[in-house]
Amino acid sequence: MHGSLEELYVEVDMCAPGWERIVDKSPPVELLARDIIFGEGPVWDKKNKRLVFTDIIGDTIWSWKPGVGKQALLNPSVKANGLALDLENRIVVAGWGGRTVFRQEHDGSWKTLADKWQGKKLNTPNDIVVKSDGSIWFTDPPGGMYNVGMVGPDVQRYLETQPVFRIAPDGKTLSIITEDTVYPNGLCFSPDEKILYVNCSRERVIRAYDVKPDGSVGPKRVFFQYTGPERGVPDGMKCDVAGNVWCTAPGGIWVHDPSGKPIVRIKTPGHHPTNIAFGDDDWKTMYVTNIGSVTRFRLNIAGVPSR
Amino acid sequence: MTWNFELVAGPMKGRTGGLAWNGKSMLCSAVLEERVVSYDPATNKTDNFRRWTGRVNGLAVAKDGSVFGAQEGGRRMIQFMNDGTARPITEFLEGERQNQPCDVVVDSKGRLWIADSYNAQAPYGPPTAPMLPFAAVLRADPQGPGNYRLNRVTYDTAGPQAVLLSADEKTLYVADGDAERGDVCQLLSYPINEHGSVPHHGKVLLNFQFGERGIAGMCLDSAGNIICCMGWKKSGSGANIIVVSPGGTILETHEAPADLPMRCAFGGADLGDLYVSCGDGGLYRAKDIGRKGLKR
Repeated sequence: MHGSLEELYVEVDMCAPGWERIVDKSPPVELLARDIIFGEGPVWDKKNKRLVFTDIIGDTIWSWKPGVGKQALLNPSVKANGLALDLENRIVVAGWGGRTVFRQEHDGSWKTLADKWQGKKLNTPNDIVVKSDGSIWFTDPPGGMYNVGMVGPDVQRYLETQPVFRIAPDGKTLSIITEDTVYPNGLCFSPDEKILYVNCSRERVIRAYDVKPDGSVGPKRVFFQYTGPERGVPDGMKCDVAGNVWCTAPGGIWVHDPSGKPIVRIKTPGHHPTNIAFGDDDWKTMYVTNIGSVTRFRLNIAGVPSR
Repeated sequence: MTWNFELVAGPMKGRTGGLAWNGKSMLCSAVLEERVVSYDPATNKTDNFRRWTGRVNGLAVAKDGSVFGAQEGGRRMIQFMNDGTARPITEFLEGERQNQPCDVVVDSKGRLWIADSYNAQAPYGPPTAPMLPFAAVLRADPQGPGNYRLNRVTYDTAGPQAVLLSADEKTLYVADGDAERGDVCQLLSYPINEHGSVPHHGKVLLNFQFGERGIAGMCLDSAGNIICCMGWKKSGSGANIIVVSPGGTILETHEAPADLPMRCAFGGADLGDLYVSCGDGGLYRAKDIGRKGLKR
């Protein structure tokens, strides 16, 4: 935790040579929302020039537009969590407490894409990303069955493992990508989509997997292991255009170069940052969801477009 | 009469917790293993009743055979349904999130009486909601299928560890105080009025000395006496199972089968066997103790 919402500034630390190409030393911070409980799932919708994010405990999917403010897209959301946009710019949702993955159709309705694996209810889909081939990848840890304030109507777990799943471009066929993680949370692809990054909140580690042409992945390897006494776990994760991996983690937002080495850590205002999204027309604005707020600040590098 | 305990299940990781007899098996919470086991005395086998419980401790069997669980890890009461699902049933007391419930009993009206205590182990998830400024006995009143409304019952408790109702459900017994938190421990009784409320001050049946571990679990025998799991080896009178009259007289004292006796419940044919869970992770049973459990 760093500062309070009354003191809106960013600090950087753990600076490696060249960190200035990532972010200025203390960019101005804008507070977008503060009347939320647990922000998550930010995604920039360039077509509609809006940020879409969730308030898990507040049970709402929100849209925020500059000059307009925030408007509820779905309430209750059954404790929705991670968000992404598919190839048709539809919102796809890691349903968390509701234990489904669902999508907003063009007519505004919401359609379930996945709710069971081999006849058993999913755990609680946490975060989600859409690959350029239209496949939808999501993590499925069980926290949405236990976490205070985040559960849906059924809190019984049925799956033995905590997989990373993939929904094929047909929007129907579900398969397991990997189930070797104790608690998979954030996930993202490298800019060329040849590497899948998955973090594990229990083991405080980011792992990398080579993505094969058939959509499967190779063996896991450790990309970065967080250590030290600071509170917090790796959570939301995104890549910038240079292939750097950004992760909300102990003490702030960590930026790792493609080898895993930390370049800089950005300590954001307010309570613990939960997830991040690159946004605006140049993809150089960092949108941050936190416990209690949503903020943004400018960067010196662009993120991988969310669509 | 000597009570001879035998280990029938475990030891499991950590302290075993809540017990409930479902007519066929003894259900026992292995809290830290996040499962509830089922011990069947007919086969002497132990199976999982439920896994991945989110640190459920106290248990109570509903009329329809479903099982209520006090989920310490999730700060809520849940109900293990007969179809294999589990539903959350309470979380809020007048808009504020409840503490970490550890024990529960259900009465003939379907109301849940809940020991809503503090816990040394943090709940699951980010710390977004503070604990209540008090630790009380709460009552969950059914408001229709699956819906309950929480009400505060006690106003003089520091950390209720166990709850029990008399046979006529007109008296509430509360084992209050967590010695590991530094509380002074007591056994309290309260007359329950027709609305389910109790006086703001309970009658002290037993008063333990500072540093002495009080009562962690209770059940009722057929004569209306209170069987209590109490104490620890490091201070006081040791780790014991005591029998207390409704007026607060200690009628019998028996050495517990292991340190930190946690919960007790009658089971078996005619409820003639006493089961005790303990701090060593074991589930123990004593037969022919000269007492039977109350049939409700």
